[in-house]
Order: sequence, then structure tokens, then C-alpha cells
Amino acid sequence: MASSSSKHMGDLKQDVNDKMKGAQAHAEALFGGKNLADPIPTDKWKLLPAFLKVKGLVKQHIDSFNYFINVDLEKIIRANERVKSDVDPHFYLKYTGIRVGAPERPDQDAISRTYTPHECRLRDLTYAAPIFVDIEYVRGRQIVRRRGVPIGRMPIMLRSSHCVLTAKNELELARMNECPLDPGGYFVVKGVEKVILVQEQMSKNRILVDIDRKGFVQAGVTSSTMERKSKTYVGTKNGMIYLRHNSIAEDVPIVVALKAMGMQSDKEITMLVCGQESKYVDKFAPNLEECSKRGIFTQQQALDFIGSKIKAPKRSFNTTVRRPLSEEALEILATVVLAHVEVHDNNFRPKCIYIAVMARRVVMAMLRGDLIDDRDYVGNKRLELAGQLLSLLFEDLFKKFNTDLKMNIDKVLKKPNRTQEFDVYNQLLFHGDHITSGFVRAISSGNWSLKRFKMERAGVTQVLSRLSFIAALGMMTRISSQFEKTRKVSGPRALQPSQWGMLCPSDTPEGEACGLVKNLALMTHITVDDEEEPLVKLAYILGVEDVSLLTGPEIYLPDTFMVFLNGSILGITRHCKKFVAAFRRMRRAGRISEFVSIFVNDHHQAIHISCDGGRICRPLIIIENGRPRVRTEHITALSQGKMTFDDFLKRGLIEYLDVNEESDSNIALYEREIIPESTHLEIEPFTVLGAVAGLIPYPHHNQSPRNTYQCAMGKQAIGAIAYNQLNRIDTLLYLMVYPQQPMVKTKTIEMTGYDKLPAGQNATVAVMSNSGYDIEDALVLNKASVDRGYGRCQVLRKYATLLRQYPNGSYDRLADPPIQPDDPLVVQEKFDVLDADGIASVGERLKPGQVYINKQVPTNTSQDIGVNSRDPTANAYKNAPMSYKSAMPGFVDKVLMTTTENDQTLIKALIRQTRRPELGDKFSSRHGQKGVCGIIIQQEDMPFSDLGVYPDVIMNPHGFPSRMTVGKMIELLAGKAGVLRGQLQYGTAFGGSKVEDMSRILIEAGFSYSGKDYVTSGVTGEPLSAYIYFGPIYYQKLKHMVMDKMHSRSRGPRAVLTRQPTEGRSRDGGLRLGEMERDCLIGYGASMLLLERLMISSDIFEIYVCEMCGLLGYAGWCQHCKSSKGMSKMQIPYACKLLFQELQSMNVVPRLQLQNVF
Amino acid sequence: MDMFNAGGPEVSIRSLKKDSMKFVLSNCDLSVANALRRVMIAEVPTMAIDMVEIESNTTVLTDEFIAHRLGMIPLTSFDVDRIQYTRDCTCTLYCPNCSVELTLHVKVNVDIDEMNDATIDKTRHVTSIDLISSDESVKPVTDDKAHPILIVKMRPGQELKLKCIAKKGVAKEHAKWSPVYGVAFEYDPYNKLRHSHYWIEESVESEWFVSPNAQEETPPDPNEPFDYNAKPEKYYMELETSGCMKPEDVVLRAMTIMQDKLGGLQIKLDDEVTGEAQRWGY
Repeated sequence: MASSSSKHMGDLKQDVNDKMKGAQAHAEALFGGKNLADPIPTDKWKLLPAFLKVKGLVKQHIDSFNYFINVDLEKIIRANERVKSDVDPHFYLKYTGIRVGAPERPDQDAISRTYTPHECRLRDLTYAAPIFVDIEYVRGRQIVRRRGVPIGRMPIMLRSSHCVLTAKNELELARMNECPLDPGGYFVVKGVEKVILVQEQMSKNRILVDIDRKGFVQAGVTSSTMERKSKTYVGTKNGMIYLRHNSIAEDVPIVVALKAMGMQSDKEITMLVCGQESKYVDKFAPNLEECSKRGIFTQQQALDFIGSKIKAPKRSFNTTVRRPLSEEALEILATVVLAHVEVHDNNFRPKCIYIAVMARRVVMAMLRGDLIDDRDYVGNKRLELAGQLLSLLFEDLFKKFNTDLKMNIDKVLKKPNRTQEFDVYNQLLFHGDHITSGFVRAISSGNWSLKRFKMERAGVTQVLSRLSFIAALGMMTRISSQFEKTRKVSGPRALQPSQWGMLCPSDTPEGEACGLVKNLALMTHITVDDEEEPLVKLAYILGVEDVSLLTGPEIYLPDTFMVFLNGSILGITRHCKKFVAAFRRMRRAGRISEFVSIFVNDHHQAIHISCDGGRICRPLIIIENGRPRVRTEHITALSQGKMTFDDFLKRGLIEYLDVNEESDSNIALYEREIIPESTHLEIEPFTVLGAVAGLIPYPHHNQSPRNTYQCAMGKQAIGAIAYNQLNRIDTLLYLMVYPQQPMVKTKTIEMTGYDKLPAGQNATVAVMSNSGYDIEDALVLNKASVDRGYGRCQVLRKYATLLRQYPNGSYDRLADPPIQPDDPLVVQEKFDVLDADGIASVGERLKPGQVYINKQVPTNTSQDIGVNSRDPTANAYKNAPMSYKSAMPGFVDKVLMTTTENDQTLIKALIRQTRRPELGDKFSSRHGQKGVCGIIIQQEDMPFSDLGVYPDVIMNPHGFPSRMTVGKMIELLAGKAGVLRGQLQYGTAFGGSKVEDMSRILIEAGFSYSGKDYVTSGVTGEPLSAYIYFGPIYYQKLKHMVMDKMHSRSRGPRAVLTRQPTEGRSRDGGLRLGEMERDCLIGYGASMLLLERLMISSDIFEIYVCEMCGLLGYAGWCQHCKSSKGMSKMQIPYACKLLFQELQSMNVVPRLQLQNVF
Repeated sequence: MDMFNAGGPEVSIRSLKKDSMKFVLSNCDLSVANALRRVMIAEVPTMAIDMVEIESNTTVLTDEFIAHRLGMIPLTSFDVDRIQYTRDCTCTLYCPNCSVELTLHVKVNVDIDEMNDATIDKTRHVTSIDLISSDESVKPVTDDKAHPILIVKMRPGQELKLKCIAKKGVAKEHAKWSPVYGVAFEYDPYNKLRHSHYWIEESVESEWFVSPNAQEETPPDPNEPFDYNAKPEKYYMELETSGCMKPEDVVLRAMTIMQDKLGGLQIKLDDEVTGEAQRWGY
């Protein structure tokens, strides 16, 4: 029976197989070779690590800097290549080339010139490389060429093409004291790590239609060329269209402007603006009428009109001939208005068309309100990176350098007879370090002030936060917006749908900078400038017609699309789809840069091609014929290392899309969601988040603000900072003693290296109420856990001093402990830790108040001292010791003695404290749930599970309902399952280990599927009546510790001027009884308490008042009345006495009239 | 069975291993059983390194870090009664009566020949084996010779030289003196007493596991009426030691400590009673 049935089954299988084969053949015919059984590439996320391997986490900064060093410098030199002399017309100096060398130690007598960034950090140097130029100049009658003339030093971005760290393996990096996980992308200036933040700006040279302050439609363009930046508007006022520009005092009617540019026919103007659509013509007609009303019909009339409105031009004095106003107007129209549309040989046609297009956009927007552009759309934004900012700065410095050089040259050449033949090379060599200091000043202060562009920006650079690894990483992806923070507009702060995949939706600060400071998503790239010419050529080859040869009606035919390249009009095409498809094909084939974007705007009937820098873009999988081009075999090849990310690009499997093109595509989130219209497939959904938000497990189960809170808090977590953390001497360094990688990690964690440099510990958490010391988010800690090292951290603080040399030849010195005259053998306790060299030795325990660097400063630093002066006061020193000021003893961790760039001795001492958690220390999980330690309970008093597991932390369940951090609950569940299985679980966004699987693991291990445990009270031994959610949650210790904050004072220092107690903990200040507290006491009637608080305990002062004149006297004597009669002694606040005296100094006489109260 | 009539508490050992023990305590009150658990965790004295005098430390770990790690190493404490608490001792800081000295000196020499050979692992693991005790009865627990307790990893050129003072103490002060890592404690696995209220969605049987201790008891009869006067009888305990002493010793010592405490209390109470009696004159 059994055998027969199995045979039968076999037959059936055969049958099914046959049928399947038939179906497959059928499908093959139908779906063009697509095998229905083709496995879906489920692990396409592997493209992400491949992307990060190629691009790195902060590749935007490095790419931008590399572009600046390798390409842009050359361009800047080209634009400013000649230095001439006003004195000698034959003289010239020409820059023929520029290059940046390898980073070099600035010390003159250094044996080895190469140095590492870490040396710069330690020695307070600037990590920089010399800039060499090749020059060609006139010496006497010959032309001399010289190569490699240094003109200054360029700060080098770490891990850029010129950095010594690039392309080094882990061992080599370790030799250079550098962490392999450090992303680079910052500068080391004067020993400080500085990041040039990414700046967000509106895009340049693009027409943007919006509403002006009065509610009228206007189209604006910010023209930006190498020479100038200006803003031009085509705006409306009472239904009329005007051209507005800063250099013209009044609005110019649009028709007048066009006529001034040589378009004199009204018909031509109308056609160019409106085409043949009557509704546009109707809207535009009044403008023609106005122009004729003003009596302007010819170009000359129009130019005269504009000329009379030009703002007083700043002209130099040497131009004696004053040109007619119309010529002035013509020049302004040609070069200043819409400067990016160039006018060659007085051919204004392209500019006319451009203005007409702007006018058309205005007319369209007047008729249809929805055609107004969105200023906050990410596609209308450009990101300015370190390279661009440095290039602006360099050009400015270089120009200044050249004008200074020219002045020097002129000065020398002016001399009638020189002893030596003039060689400009010497001038160039000894020309000072204008460029070097300019760079250093700008980067270290963050003030970018460029007179040329009237740019005055502060806070461009920030000190790289090394609080934790993720803080540093988060800083590198930060984008700051140019909007003022005070303005109360919600638009720029709101989450834009176009941010999808480009900017992290969670990672933004709370408070005033909310929404203005953003962070890049994980898989983004920011473009750098690219060549336009090949694209122009390609466009014309693909059938674009030059727009200058066409008239309005032809341009605005229904199926005609205008082609723009970086905002300038290239021409038109009538085969939009074909053109775009061909263009994309060229890009996918690698014929043009992969970062060129092309998209169609159907509303404007325009095709936009962009190759400018600062666009955010991201890679996506291309879908062809309804199936993704990335197949399983590609992914397999990728995992085997046979393919790289670039191969995927080259073979046209994936491509980069910028925000504009992304909006013009149909992107499927998952393979199953592909529809016939789909053009692209997401690589992985979790890449919408950034590096910092990527730490959160199960963020898609959390209430969104919680993820934002965690993004802010993750940066304050104490953990491991870098592999070189123990070699660093930072002003403040927090390190965790036993950091752990999280039980529930994410793919992002693995890719950023957070698992190697973690900041937190997996705490066994019991979610229950216990002891009442856990209300308001407070945590209960297990004392045994704390004893065993939970939450233990080290705080290392740097104290540095310079041993100065003074102009008179005296210098600071270190002294050994002073000898007490009465007992020369015993060293005072204060100086106990000092070594023979006057510095505390390493490992020594420092008590508060002890001296660790016994520095002495000469009393006389300005006057000259005779070489053999016998005057003892001339060589006297006074003590200027550095003593340890902290409530808790510390240990000397490291002492560094070195010299700075200008040969001054620098001493740095690193002092370490090891702290165990105490009451009031702040902790947080990865779900924006922070809390302070409320009580530390003995292990035997802690509740415990049936297995004898005691929690490390007890968390109050009231933290959950209002916060809705379901992700935290799932983290616990997954963590518990992971512990039981001995494996790490994933909580990756939009994926991760499933709750169902986790529950199954729990059941298999003999636990409740719900994650709850049977828990016994440690105090009574009875089981708790409720079941307790019990398991590991990753907890971070935050840098806010009670020790750094607690403060009290009974008596202490007072301010000199007012004699009131000082303010603030750092000055051992008093605790202020403020106005509101005062009001309470007044209301209550506690007048004696008030008097005591506000005067007696503060700044009580005894004065003598003359009852005759009412003025203050002194010691029973009135100086005004010259008598001691009727002097009363009384007590007032010193501040009050000060007020009287200050009033007197202003010729106001306050007189006190005394009365007997009782 | 009424426990007040049945001749006092009983213990039956279910399993006894080198470093763990399972037993059933019966015929006593919950408070007594719980007290035993608490005393085992917190009040059984053991030896642990309490002071570290570091002479030379050129390892990557800081002095406090190493000192903390040393403190956590369990020391054999079966002879702990011989040693006094420092607070009871006549000495000022420490003396042989109240402490045991352990020394550690490891120096990894730089071998020029090996220096550039990447194939040789030059990392030296400093472990509890390197701790030399002056007292044979107090030394680091090294049951597993292959996997001693790691203190620090060192590289050529580094040195660690220190002297540790191990003292007697209880875990109330610091967890390093705890002889046990955890004590599991349970009674009434079938929840007959209804001290617990299971959280369920549908039924207790399908959603909650019965603990392994249940095999010691008879399953409840569903038709049995609830006895609200019932008291817990059997307490299932399991402890795992750090290896510093035998598990049965931990239990015994814990009991002695409880006894001593009660004994002390009794004496004090006696004194008090007689004192009061004299004062009031009866």
C-alpha cells in the first residue's frame, strides 16, 4: 500500500514538473527570458557596504577638498595668472602652474620633514602642506622661468588625496597613531580638529518663482559667476511686470528692459513671452501699453530711461571721460544684470530670451497659483562643502597676495637706480605668510569674510566633537542652513518629502536650530562641479536646436521642450522623451559623468540638465522592462569581491539620481512593489536614515520625536572614541571602562564601526516600579553591578601651559618644590607630587589643591636687563603654579613636553579621574528615554528572576505609555532572545529580527514568549504579583554627571565692584535668591528673612550718613559739612552705596533723609 | 503537614557540584529561607584584593582599571576564618593577621629577532596565574588552567609590577567579596498558594512553563478547593559560587552567620531585659 502510494506520488510529481516546464517556456516567451523562478536579490543591501567602501562615510568632504586641490586651484591660478606693474610696462609675472606638496613639518631644523596629523594634534601645530607655483617673469631683459616656488601653506584635510593617511592599512595607521575607523574629512589647525560644516544654500543661476513680501509673484535668479554675484528679479506690481536689480534704483518695466536690449518690436516681445496663447497675451498686454505710454519705442530711448535710473556708480578717479548714461545702461545690462547669461559681441538675444522666459514664468504663475516654486524643495538647494569654501577663500587670499606683491614690485621698480637687478623671485620668497595665516585664521575662527562677494559668515567651522565616536561622525554629516534662527517661519524647518533618502528625517537638534541643522542620510553623495562643454556638445548632437535662431511661437509649441543646462538656456527639442532617454543612456554607458542629472519639468515644458556642484544624490537600482538590472549573480560576485560598487555603476546596473531627477522617476521601495511604470528600485529602505539615527534599533516602531531625541543623546554617550584614544591629549575626554557592542545591533552600526567603538553597555533591565526612587524616569541601579564595573567611566582633562620667552630675553621656568626654612627635608603637601623637574610625575595621585606644574614667571618681562646685571630684582621670578582644582582626586595620566611652531615650550598634563555611577548620573537607552540614577540598591534587595538573574537596572514602566517607544520593548525581546541563543540580533530600521521569531526563541529556551519573567522580591522572598518585562537593553551613560554639576557655598568669593557673591559654579558662586523668590517672601511677609538674604548674607556695608546734608560721610565725619555733628551709622547694601557714588559722579546728588521709625 | 510540629527545617540536596549546588529547604518559614539567600549573597566573608600598590605599570590599562580588575578576581577563601577583619585588627593599615599579600611582576622583553616577524604573536596575556600569593590558602581561583582570568594584555617593552593586599570582607561593602554569582530561589512552582497572578492571554497552561522544580511536587488537582491558609513549605534554591569556596560551605557559613546574629541578638536582649528589670526594680 505504502509503496504504491509513493509511486503514485512520483507520477504526480513528474506530471507537475512537466507542466511547470511548459509554463516556464511559455513565460520565457512572454517575459523575455525572465525566469519566474529567478531568485529575488534579497541581499541587495550588500551594495551599501560596497558603496561605503568606495565613498566612505564622509566622502563628500574629501571629494570636495580633492577637487579643490587638484582641479580648482589650477582654475583659480588661470583666472588670476598675471601680475603686472604700473611702473614698468614690460614687467610681468605669470603663474603657469600650481600644486600642493606633501604635508611638511614647519620646524626649520627638522631632520625628517614628514609628519602625521597626530603630531599636529599633540604639538598644537597646523597640519598643512606647502603650495608651490610655477612662475614665468621678466628679469631685466630676459624671461625667467622657475618651478616650485612656495607661496604659503595649505591646511590639508585628513584622508584627502594629499594626506599621509590615505591608502594606508591598519598597521601603518597604527604606527602613525591614527584610528582606522576615524572618517577624516576635518582639518587640524593649531592642534584643534576643525570641521568645515556643509552649508545649505539656494541654488545659483536657476529661475525661482515665488511670492514677494507684498504678495506679488516674482521670478528671481541669483547669478553667480567667477567675478560677481547678483540677484535679478522679474516681478509684478499691480499686474505689471518689472525687472528689478540692485544696480538700478527703480523697477524697470519689462518691455523697456527688453527694448533696451535691442528687442524693439512689440510683437516679437509678446511672442517671446507668451507664444500664441491668448490668455498669456491678455495678461501681458498692459506692459506693452505702459511702455508706449512712457513714450519709449526705440532701444536708445529705453537705454536713456534705464541710464537715468542707475545707482551712482562707484567709479575710479582715473576715468576722466564720463560716458553717456545710455552706454552705462547698456554695460550694466550686459555684464551685471543676469551676469551668468553672457553677452558676446553685443549679442543680447540669449539674454532677451532668458528674460522673456522669466517673464513667461511670472505670467504663468499669475494665472495659476500652483506654478509657484517651493523654496524649501531640496532640489532647489545646493550644499556648499569645504572645497568650495576654501576655494573662495584661496582666491581672495591669492588676489590679496598678488596686489600686495604688485605694490612691492612697484615700490622697488619706482626707485630710479637700483643696486641690484630686480628679481621678483626674492620678493615672492620673502613676501610673508599672508596665504598661510589667512587659511589658519579662517579655519580656526570660523569667520569667512570675503570682501569680493560681500560674504561675511561666522561659525563656518566647528571644533570636531570627540565626546564619542558617533558624535564625531555625526558632525561630519551635519548640514547647517543659512537661514537666521530667530525667524519664525516653519517652511525651512519642516520635513520635506524631497528629503527622502537624502537627508535624515530624525537627526536634527531640538530648539532654535530645529530643522535648520540637518544631517545627510547614509547613502548620499554630494556632487562637485563638472565640465559643461561636453554636455553642450552632446545636447546639440542629440538634436537640440539653438534658441537664438527661433522665434516665440516656435519655442512655445505644445510639444516643444526647452533644454536648460545648469539653468542657462541651451535650446529646444521637439522629441523630449527620446532626447532624455538618449541622454540617460549615455550616462549609464559612462560616456558622461554619472553625476549629471537630467529631468523633465512638464509644467514649464523644460528639460533640465545639471552638472553643477553641491547637488545631493544617491544611487538606485535601475529597473528595465519591469525587472531590476541587479541580479543575484551580481550580488554574489559582489560578496565574493569580484565586483565593486563602481563596476555596478559602469555596467549601468545602478545610477545616481539627484533630488530633481528622483522626483521625475518612479522608485519602487521593494521588488514586490514594482509596477510597469517603475524606473528604479531602492537599494535599502533603511538608508533614509543617517549614521546617527542608524544606531536606533527598531526605529520604525518608535514615536518619531523619540528617534530625534536619541540622535541628540547618542552624541553625549560615553564610550570608546577611537583606537588612538589613549594617545590623545584632548581638553576633555570621556571614556567608558567596559564598553560593549549592543546585543541588538543594526546594519548601520556594523557599517559605521559603532560595534568596534561602542558607547554603552547591555544592561539587564527589569521594567517595574521599585522603591519609589524611580519616579519621573529615575533609574534604580544594582550596587553589585556598579561594583563590578557597570557604567564606570574615566574622565581625562588636559591642562596646558606655555613656557614663554619674553622680548627682553627673560623666560618662564619650572621650579622644584620650594624648601621650607624650618624643615628643609620635608616637602609641603601641596608640592608633594612634583618631580625634580617641577612637573608631577605620571601615575601620581593628585589631591585637590596640589601643584602639578610648578611654573615661575619673571617679574620683569618688558624692561631690558643688563647682561651682567647684579640687580636681584631684575632677575626675580614669581610663582605661577598650576594647581589641581576638582572635588575628586585625580591621577596624572600623561605629561607632554614639546615645542610649538614658534619654538615655545609647551607642557600638557592629562589628569584622569575614574568615576563609578552615583546618584544623579544620567543614563539613556537608545530610544530617547533618558533618566537619572535615583537610588543604588544592594544586590540582595533587588528583585530576581526564577533563574537567579538580578537586574542591573530597574526602569519604571510609566516611561512607556506616553512615550510610545515600542522599539525599546522589541529591543528587549530581541536582546533576550539573542542572549539565550548566544548570537546578536538585528534591529535594523524597516527590517530586523521579527518579534515572532524572537518569541519563538524565548519559548524554546523555556521562557514566556512575552518577555515577561516570574520575579521574586529580594526583600520579602515572595513573588511579585505582576510578571516583569525582563531582559537586556543597551544603555548609554551620558556625559552629564553629578560630580561636574553639584555645587554649594556658605561663604566664598565676592565680586570686586559690588561686593556681592560671585556667580556660577566655576567661581564658587552663591545661589541667587531671584526676583520671583523675593516676591514669594514679600507676599508671605517674611521681611527679616528677606533682609538677611538680600543684604546681611550678601553685600552688607556700614556707612555714615550726615543728617544735615544727607550725604555719605566717613568714619563719623561729614566732609561736606566739615563736621561730625549728627552723623548716623547705618547698614545698607554695598551696591546701594555704589549707586549713590556713581550718581554723584554724574552730578546727581542722592540725599538720605533719616527718620526715627520707632 | 504543620511545620511547627515537624521537628524543624530540613534540607535535601538535589545536586552538588564543585561550584554549584541545588537543594530544597523545607519546613521553614519564607522569611528564613529568604534570609538565607540574602546572607549567602551579601554576608558570607571571603577574601578579595582590596589594596593595590603599583610600582610600575606601562601597560595600556590605567592603574585604577587594573586595580579594579584585580579586585574582581575570586580568591580561595575556605580558610577565611583564620584571617581577621582589618577593622578588628590591631594594626594600622594591614598586617599578616588581617591580610594576604599577592605580588605580580610581568615584564615582556623586546626580542630583536622577533620584532619584525608578524607571524609571532607577541601579545602576552597577564592572568590570575601570574599572581603569586604569599599564603597558600588564599590564591586566585584557577580551576580552569587553560582559561585563567585575564588581567591585561601586554606587548614587548611593557611591564607590570605590583603588590596586592587581599583582605577579608563581605559583599555588603563591595560585590567582589560575594562568594556567589547568583542565587535562584523559588517555591510553589504550581502556584497553588496563588502568591502570583500569571499574566495570560488565554490560558496559564499554554503560555507559561512550569519550572523544573515542579517535578518535586505533586501537580494540583483542578478540582481541589483553594486552601487560603496554606503556607509555603519547600524552597528550591540553587547557587553558583565564584569558586572561592565550596557551595555547601557557603550555605553552612551563611547559616552560622544567621545563627551568630540571632545569638548576638539574644545576648543583647538578655542584657537589656535584665538591665531594664534592675532599673524598674522587679
